[in-house]
Amino acid sequence: MDATTKFFEDLDRRGYEPLLAKTSGTLRFDLHEGAHTTHWLLHIDRGNLRVRQEDQEANTVVGTAPRLFGELVSGRENVIAALLRGDMTVLGDLRLVLQVERIFPGPPNSRGPHHAFQRGAS
Amino acid sequence: MAGTDTVRILDGNTFVVSEDTGDIEATPSEPTGLFAIDTRFLSKWVLTVNGERLNALSYDDLQYYEARFFLVPGMATHYIDAKLSIIRERAVGGSFRETLTILNHDEKPVDLEIRIDAASDFADLFQVKDEILNKKGEIYAEAESDRLRLGYRRGNFKRETVIQSSQPARYDRNGLAFTVHLEPNEQWDTGIDVQTFAIGPGGRDLRMGLRTHGVERLALQQDLEQWIANAPKVNSEHREVCSTYRRSLIDLAALRFSPLSLGGQTLPAAGLPWFMTMFGRDSILTCLQVLPFAPDLSKTTLRILGALQGTRFDDFRDEDPGRILHEMRYGETAAFEEQPHSPYYGSVDATPLFVVLLDEYEKWTGDVALVKELERECRAALKWVDAYADLVGNGYIWYERRNTDTGLENQCWKDSWDSISYRDGTLPPFPRATCEVQGYAYDAKMRAARLAREFWDDPAYADQLEREAAELRERFNRDWWVADGEYYALGLDPDGRHCAVLSSNIGHLLWSGIVEPDRARKIADHLLGPRLFSGWGVRTLAEGEVRYNPIGYHNGTIWPFDNSFIAWGLRRYGFADEAAVIANGILEAARYFDGRLPEAFGGYPRDLTKFPVEYPTACSPQAWSTGTPLLLIRTMLGLEPHEGHLAVDPRLPVGMGRIEVLDIPGRWGKVDAFARGRVDLHQLAAQ
Repeated sequence: MDATTKFFEDLDRRGYEPLLAKTSGTLRFDLHEGAHTTHWLLHIDRGNLRVRQEDQEANTVVGTAPRLFGELVSGRENVIAALLRGDMTVLGDLRLVLQVERIFPGPPNSRGPHHAFQRGAS
Repeated sequence: MAGTDTVRILDGNTFVVSEDTGDIEATPSEPTGLFAIDTRFLSKWVLTVNGERLNALSYDDLQYYEARFFLVPGMATHYIDAKLSIIRERAVGGSFRETLTILNHDEKPVDLEIRIDAASDFADLFQVKDEILNKKGEIYAEAESDRLRLGYRRGNFKRETVIQSSQPARYDRNGLAFTVHLEPNEQWDTGIDVQTFAIGPGGRDLRMGLRTHGVERLALQQDLEQWIANAPKVNSEHREVCSTYRRSLIDLAALRFSPLSLGGQTLPAAGLPWFMTMFGRDSILTCLQVLPFAPDLSKTTLRILGALQGTRFDDFRDEDPGRILHEMRYGETAAFEEQPHSPYYGSVDATPLFVVLLDEYEKWTGDVALVKELERECRAALKWVDAYADLVGNGYIWYERRNTDTGLENQCWKDSWDSISYRDGTLPPFPRATCEVQGYAYDAKMRAARLAREFWDDPAYADQLEREAAELRERFNRDWWVADGEYYALGLDPDGRHCAVLSSNIGHLLWSGIVEPDRARKIADHLLGPRLFSGWGVRTLAEGEVRYNPIGYHNGTIWPFDNSFIAWGLRRYGFADEAAVIANGILEAARYFDGRLPEAFGGYPRDLTKFPVEYPTACSPQAWSTGTPLLLIRTMLGLEPHEGHLAVDPRLPVGMGRIEVLDIPGRWGKVDAFARGRVDLHQLAAQ
């Protein structure tokens, strides 16, 4: 299973995401590959998540290449930087994207704070 | 840096820095230009008439968003005979618009070739002080029949400047030109519109639908009038207090910034022009300073910083779950991750200060809904303090950057490389901890305990926070006390050794309430003593320390914002007269800067220089300097929300005369406060 499918299936299974407790709306991710577009529809109702693979109207439509999106959902690329670069387009409510961005993972090689006491122990 | 003879106008993060003629010719030492979203959109904008440059007779920066230049042809030696006047009027409001008017005073008709040379290097704000030699993308210019398009392309990253004149012009790749015939006493004018675009692949602007800031000059005018009308009125026999207050209020309006993600609501940006962006620390401290006068800024700031609170580990951005951001940028270097500001999280004080601001905001406004709305963010911030910031494992907030290329070394407000040192002047290894941040953590826990008990219905959490705060206070007073100097160390190294220098940071500890009462007198004496107090204010580092330098950025200069929090801290511990001395010194210094306090000024003794020596800096006005007079007024009047009403307990110096502050907004509706100067500063100094 590719990273994108896994990401969305995981969201759908999670059902509720506390980081989005104040967020409601629908986002559609359009992943363009040549003439072919894959659609993922994320429905958020105060943190309750539902994912469908449907091409329906949404408050926010995000457009990007499937390859880049795969990198974004695995933390190797950053959504805000991609947005500023123009590698991702947003139609509609930009705030929804910035809220959903927060549930994307960090870079896989990021280790977090270097705790001196742990360092000493290792 | 741009010198003091440059003219700056702005709206949000669109701003123009030019010479006093209105011309723009950017160089690394004079970084003038038209800027928007952290990108320079014009690096050249030079007006000539018949091939001649123009000279400025005068200019007015009418408001923060508009300026007017009166120009004549020729050099200064012979312009008195000028038969032509040229008036350049410009305003920013979304786009940049210039109206050019030319008047012929001669008795003969004239034929004129009017030209504007225009170009852009599309420099990132981080690059404007560098010689830009190898931009990674392609710069282009396209002259069309009715416009000139300047552009920059790097992959899908595209920025464009589009220049259009209301009068027909001849456009070429280097500018636009007009051929004009003027009869005696005739005048000619044209409006030139310069629009900035940040274009995505679909041709849509990144900012589309988000520009709720008034594009029209009239809307900006009304907005400013409304802003001033909504703020409390300050009247005083001391005329300079009134003018300083008014200057601060207008500058605060100019510094309001509407982030892309907030749909038009505003928060204070850090400083004009180079820091017209969100800074966690600067925005929060400014909000705290101006709470009695402009409480709505706090609400917006808390919401936006909460919405961008860290959620994961990202070593490039120094992001952790619960951490409040340090700085957000929108330019090319952030987009291509050559800089980490998308956003960057490398600050250790913004996170506890976020909690402090929420509590203080509620005390003033009674906005319980916001306290409930941000409960999760507050808990996450407090969790960050305990779980992620304690790098040494001994109960303090420490910092050590993970982004060793472009991250910040010192993540406290004194963020220059040499600001934290041992008494012998050497620099400690990492991780480092500074004292004032431990005070903020203590205050955050105490305040969050109140929020948990009163609004979150979680008395167990409140008890836990109070217990932790009490332990922190006890630990801190044991570990940080410099016995031979009788003050708190500026910092600790990972082995617990003191950076035992005497610094202004100890004043923040009073503000946070972490100082044991029986030590407060000693701290106040240090703050008002000759090593720290210059006569104008408290130095960042005391005279006599190895690294002390009266113009050392964080090693001896006086920062007005720092002093405003120190004065607040002195009042908290009952040293009202000492607070008045500091308030008086800083407000008197403001007179020398026309009411606009600089970021910092020299730490020279007052009786040596007679006037405050400004530290050469690029940012003016700067948000927390702008907020300083407002916090000092609050401190002198002893304004304190108390059990739902506003307590007033003034302690003013004699020279201040009478001060009244009318219509102070809060949970009490609107109330007035009156005070008269009674504190004899000379007597105090003689003690």
